[in-house]
Amino acid sequence: MTESAETALAEVFGAEWPLLIGAAMRIVGDLQTAEDVVQETVLTALDRWPLQGVPDRPGAWLMTACRNRARNAVRDNGRARRAIASMTREAAASAAAGPAYPEQGADHDEIGDDRLRLIVLCCHPALSADAQVALTLRMVCGLTTEEIARGCHLPTTAVAQRIVRAKRVLREHEAVFLADEPDVRARLPAILDVIYLVFNEGYLAAAGETLSRGDLAFEACRLARLVTDVIADEPETWALRALIAFQLSRSATRTAGDGSVLTLDQQDRSKWNRELITDGVRALSRARVGGPGPLLLQAELAACHSTAATFDATDWHAIVAIYDRLQRVQDTPVVAMNRAVAVAMRDGPAAALPLLDRLAEDAALKGSHRVWAVRADLHRRLGDRVAATADYQRALRLVSNQAERRYLECALRQVPGAAARTGITREAEHDAAG
Amino acid sequence: MSDFLLLGARQPGMATTETSPRLAARDVVALAAWHEHLRRWGLLRAFALPQDPVGGLRACLIVRASGQLAASRLAEEWQRRSGYQVAVLPLCDVGQAQGVRSVGRP
Repeated sequence: MTESAETALAEVFGAEWPLLIGAAMRIVGDLQTAEDVVQETVLTALDRWPLQGVPDRPGAWLMTACRNRARNAVRDNGRARRAIASMTREAAASAAAGPAYPEQGADHDEIGDDRLRLIVLCCHPALSADAQVALTLRMVCGLTTEEIARGCHLPTTAVAQRIVRAKRVLREHEAVFLADEPDVRARLPAILDVIYLVFNEGYLAAAGETLSRGDLAFEACRLARLVTDVIADEPETWALRALIAFQLSRSATRTAGDGSVLTLDQQDRSKWNRELITDGVRALSRARVGGPGPLLLQAELAACHSTAATFDATDWHAIVAIYDRLQRVQDTPVVAMNRAVAVAMRDGPAAALPLLDRLAEDAALKGSHRVWAVRADLHRRLGDRVAATADYQRALRLVSNQAERRYLECALRQVPGAAARTGITREAEHDAAG
Repeated sequence: MSDFLLLGARQPGMATTETSPRLAARDVVALAAWHEHLRRWGLLRAFALPQDPVGGLRACLIVRASGQLAASRLAEEWQRRSGYQVAVLPLCDVGQAQGVRSVGRP
């Protein structure tokens, strides 16, 4: 087997994971036991497939093995009452739904519902946002605790505790998986928030050596697709899918070979992922059916960038107009800051500076390096070296991501005379680097 | 060359070790490649998989090796790639191995 076989198999396991958890959940009724069952099913595949070969329909093989194991677990655990009740429900559901595992092209509603139920369960309101994220990544995406910890830059023990506690909370709240109709509409904002958090965590790492942690961002993309698969009639889900697809399409070009940040004007647009951009455009057209929510407007903004042939071709008038609409539905300092950047691109840096001066005093942005980095750039473009140097230094004191730090240090060095003003000499720089 | 029986068992607590879609795919491919390597060199004579793993035993291989040391090296490699705890048992001669071979011939 080759690398492509590994990729194909990873896709099979990845696609099946939430379905297997869902199927096990329907039988055993408990998230921890369901996870154990799926874990054991995958281990059995690991025993057999390398020797016997991968079955023709690996998904069906996994599903059958998982259901058998789940039934055994129920029998072995002797939870007679709950088991009988849940198996009766499963039998009734199976009878109503037809074959145990639908053939290709058959109706996937039951399975789709299981994935949806699983996401709904992981986004239970009794759980904190952090717990929802960790549990979703484990149960729906199949990431290990260690992978989640690495992705979120947290100690493995902290993530493990988060997941264990989340399962306990769900048990204590008797969170129901087999609800007749999952309360999707009520939980949708939480579900979308969780996916967006996963994406942000992966796309723009808050801390760490590199700018992005691609795996988490791609998991978020997969989750967004899954949610549009199972909640196809909700425009906001399509808006999130579009937003993530557009952002992710640029991920390969956001950093140079040495890990330093490349801004939009420096990125090689021929390397942007066309498949994702096409997906984003399609998703955006479906999202436009709904009202102009924050996700739709952010997706529109991302589309302006992703579909511009060159940086100079970017329609900054349209972008400022979208920011104006976004401010009406989501008037946050971050949106205002981003709008100021767009204003600077449309009308020049002098027009945006007063906007940023006001924002720099905002309590929510004071601790963020971004507002100072943007202001420094505007001062630099206006030729105000002293102000640019001061703002870059302030941004450097606040930034935690190492790739962004390197970018800011490089930008500071490019301000004429900045080294002298900051007391940085070539020797000192050399010493620091050494 | 002699035949040896390699018994692969999951270590206690292995079932609770987390795996993920990506890790599982990687392990399947890596192990399949190793088994293919054994086959190509004529070292894998037979294998057997229990219908329902009991007592942790997950897989058995009958391999050809020049001696106990070579068989142990194969066992170590299998253990490293699969995560099994592997025991090596020498088989008396090829004739006696025939019965086991029928369980599952690669």
